[in-house]
Amino acid sequence: MQQVFGPKELLEDVFQNDLCIGCGACVELCPYFKNYQGKTAQLFPCDLSQGRCYAYCPKVEVNLDELSNHFWGRPYDGSPLGNYRKVLASRAGKKIKETSYQAGGTVSAIIIYAFKKGLIEVAALTDREGLNPVARLVTSPDEVIKCSTSKFMASPTLSVINTGMREGYTRIGVVGTPCQLTAVAQMRLNPLEKQDFVDPVALAVGLFCNWALDTRQLMSLLSEKLDISAIQSMDIPPPPANMMVLKTDSGKVEIPLSEIKPLIPHTCFICPDMTSEWSDVSVGMFEGRPGWNTLLIRSQKGAELVEKACKDGFLETEEMPQENLNHLSRAAAAKKERALRTLIRRELINTDKRNQRCAVRIPPEVVQKILR
Amino acid sequence: MSNLILEGKKGSRHLLMGNEAIARGALEAGVCVAAGYPGTPSSEIIETLSDASKERKLYVEWSVNEKVAMEVAAAASFAGLRSMCVMKQNGVNVASDFLLHLAYSGTRGGMVLVPCDDPEALSSANEGESRHFAKLVEIPLLEPGDFQEAKDMVKWAFELSEEIKSLVMLRSVTRLSHASGSVVFDELPEQDTTAHFSHSGAFIDPVEGPMTTLPVTWRHTQLQEKLQQAVSKFEESPFNTYTGPQTPELLIITSSACHLYSKEAIDLIGVKDRVGLLKLGTTWPLPPKLMQQYLIRADKILIVEEVISFLEDNVKILAAELASKIGIKTFFGKKNGAIPTAGELNPDLVVTAIAKILGINYEAMPQAYGNRAKALADLGAPGRDLTFCPGCPHRASFWTIHNVLQMDNREGFVCGDIGCYSLAMLPCGFGTLKTLHSMGSGAGLASGFGKLKMFGMDQPVVATVGDSTFFHAVLPAFINAVHNKSGFILIILDNSGTAMTGFQPHPGLQVDAKGDEAPHIDIVSVCEAIGAKVSVCDPFDIQHTQQTLFELLEDKEGVKVLVLKQICALSPEKKAKKMYEVEIDETVCLGENCGCNRMCTRVFKCPGLIWDKEKGVSTIDEVICAGCGVCASICPAGAINKKEVA
Repeated sequence: MQQVFGPKELLEDVFQNDLCIGCGACVELCPYFKNYQGKTAQLFPCDLSQGRCYAYCPKVEVNLDELSNHFWGRPYDGSPLGNYRKVLASRAGKKIKETSYQAGGTVSAIIIYAFKKGLIEVAALTDREGLNPVARLVTSPDEVIKCSTSKFMASPTLSVINTGMREGYTRIGVVGTPCQLTAVAQMRLNPLEKQDFVDPVALAVGLFCNWALDTRQLMSLLSEKLDISAIQSMDIPPPPANMMVLKTDSGKVEIPLSEIKPLIPHTCFICPDMTSEWSDVSVGMFEGRPGWNTLLIRSQKGAELVEKACKDGFLETEEMPQENLNHLSRAAAAKKERALRTLIRRELINTDKRNQRCAVRIPPEVVQKILR
Repeated sequence: MSNLILEGKKGSRHLLMGNEAIARGALEAGVCVAAGYPGTPSSEIIETLSDASKERKLYVEWSVNEKVAMEVAAAASFAGLRSMCVMKQNGVNVASDFLLHLAYSGTRGGMVLVPCDDPEALSSANEGESRHFAKLVEIPLLEPGDFQEAKDMVKWAFELSEEIKSLVMLRSVTRLSHASGSVVFDELPEQDTTAHFSHSGAFIDPVEGPMTTLPVTWRHTQLQEKLQQAVSKFEESPFNTYTGPQTPELLIITSSACHLYSKEAIDLIGVKDRVGLLKLGTTWPLPPKLMQQYLIRADKILIVEEVISFLEDNVKILAAELASKIGIKTFFGKKNGAIPTAGELNPDLVVTAIAKILGINYEAMPQAYGNRAKALADLGAPGRDLTFCPGCPHRASFWTIHNVLQMDNREGFVCGDIGCYSLAMLPCGFGTLKTLHSMGSGAGLASGFGKLKMFGMDQPVVATVGDSTFFHAVLPAFINAVHNKSGFILIILDNSGTAMTGFQPHPGLQVDAKGDEAPHIDIVSVCEAIGAKVSVCDPFDIQHTQQTLFELLEDKEGVKVLVLKQICALSPEKKAKKMYEVEIDETVCLGENCGCNRMCTRVFKCPGLIWDKEKGVSTIDEVICAGCGVCASICPAGAINKKEVA
């Protein structure tokens, strides 16, 4: 079982260790955790011995075996892409207007379709105010596209799941990064064993992610180079581009990744998940094929939704070439291995000393397997 | 009270606060000009005089700060009028530069400086003492030992000042200024003085020449001669009294409120026949002949005074000089630990000292009784933290400042200043203040912190100052910061008055000390003229204030000013009128499940919100609630509703 502590331990383990990614899982549970410009802070101390804030946090006491058993009915095996049924190439279908979504528009198409079919009542998405990513609980498919662009910054998206639950929604869709979906998975376990608990997440769409950027530092860097208010979109094209590309009112601005990478929060280097392993479906770029996405189908629910969405013209899929799958798998395995080495070096994994808490628990034999 | 102060006839007896007695004394002495800056425990002196000024020919002002107050009073003295300046102990620090110069230049019309010290810092951020300034700048020091003396000594001080042409210090303390006692009045003089500043005489003519410290050594020597004249007067002073046996086993030397503690202590342990009490009213310089007369009577000497030693040191020096005449003495006091060197004294502490010296077995408070009393208090009395009043704008301001800095997450901090808002160091202000020193120091510290970016300090810096404090001592620091390109946010908590000391007006208001209309200096215009960006918010509008503060934190360059304007909840202008009727919806209140337990009553802590233990919900105390409506904005469950009062 996952060990659950309280906000005091959350502060010690996550905030003071600079491990918070600002996913928003602890925000809006109580009046004290707030997120501003990508960082979560506690306004006032709280002395509860157990709290959902700790239980949901993707950076402390994440028991991957427990999650795997719950969602996939088998132990965690450390495979690079996690549990999946199928990998496809995908893009938004004809029913979705080609507007301003990024890459293939698969995520927007799936969420819009889930809305139309009544699978979800609301969706926890990431909008932006200026350049700042903000959480948005979207109540209609028309608002989805507005949230469709890539942000590359940590965002407190999950806070609106907590808001949504409080407002009584029971079919919430969520789009999130691996850390965010790890938190969502923990929410769905009902870690505090509440009697009246109903899993509120009807659809979890994962995003591929190698790392995010610190919001405040990125803003500060960008504001030195251009007028932030003129930015229309940002993108990090696949290698060998090695740049961040910003579309602005007055043309493109390119920033070398060497300047961007120092803005990656350290906590991203302990993340073993590249493809959001705890989703119904996960979506990422399709390297070398602009306008298309990679679509990993993980759950039964995800598989059925994708099939129907294709049939109804909301989504278009093709087979994924084996070569591309191999490439993706190698990249995911490399992230896992790097993360595990960092976790071991920082003594944040499987600590068994009395009273010592850790970031993640993975069966030792699986750790060995990942490290080869 | 003011009518009584003026109308009481000669020979009538009245119950007066020490400060009122001092004011009456000044009126009996024919004071013409009085100036001060509000500060507990001194404020009632100027207040009483300003009331009197409505009927008598008397100019009274609340000056912008104590240094200016002393200058205003000195001008009157130079023009031949009797004048007085009044301040709390820290005020003398502020005025001290002019004080030293004024001692050298001398005075003409009688001039009395009245500092009211605050041992144990009951209403202060320090327990500093003004007595030492008398010695430092070489002016006579008087200390009234009871309420009658508080009045009588003022008149005597004016006469002394006029006779020796020097400023005289008359020092009070909280327990004299704020306690009340019986005072018999003398008559009020006719008022026919005219003011004229004579300056055409010889350069060194103290009566007709210019007023200055030059030539310095000559004036300094003159000053020292004046002190010697004062000593001769002190030898005969009616304010130095002795009670007790002809040859006591122990001689207590004391002054001020400690005189009352000593009297009580002697009585408590019944040692009237063994202990003598020398109460001094003229404590600097000490009159040697008088001292010799009493020191010779006892071998053991106990000096009873508060905070650090002043009297003790001076007595010991004198005793050394007189050793051949009075013999060798054993001294008790601060040096040997008989009397504490910090905090207030009380009769119990003096009893303990006397009992120990005389070998009497006496426990001021038996331990068993102490324990029982404490147990009883713990049982029935709820803990009472220092807190802001219900509806206080500062609670709302600091709620926002605290939360914004926490959310901003860069370990930003607030430099505090002196006023009600100093309480924001404590839980009632969410522990938001991280520095607190003297008037204006918050802005000065912020000016310094704001320059440390070059050494890698990237924490946001904020200073909070009150409106009265802004004029008193913030302006120089603020100008310094703008000129030297420091970067911080100056938050002016403008509650339209010197609220902490009782709503005395300041230059930002349209009224003067007497209550007459006065031109006001607009804080926003002043700040803009100095070159700062200025925003103004109502702190009760939490959301707008929060948004504005976030924006200011993003603006990294320069000094930004945020004026949080909302009149003090206790201000007479508000007339206790509620802006909102506030109500808690019991069905929505989360009670113990709110913010891990009763957020509004446990964290926000407005005294108008109370906990209904039986129902397990928060509720409004209708009597206490000031109707500010802020709690409706902070309730996370939206259980608190406010309705505008028509």
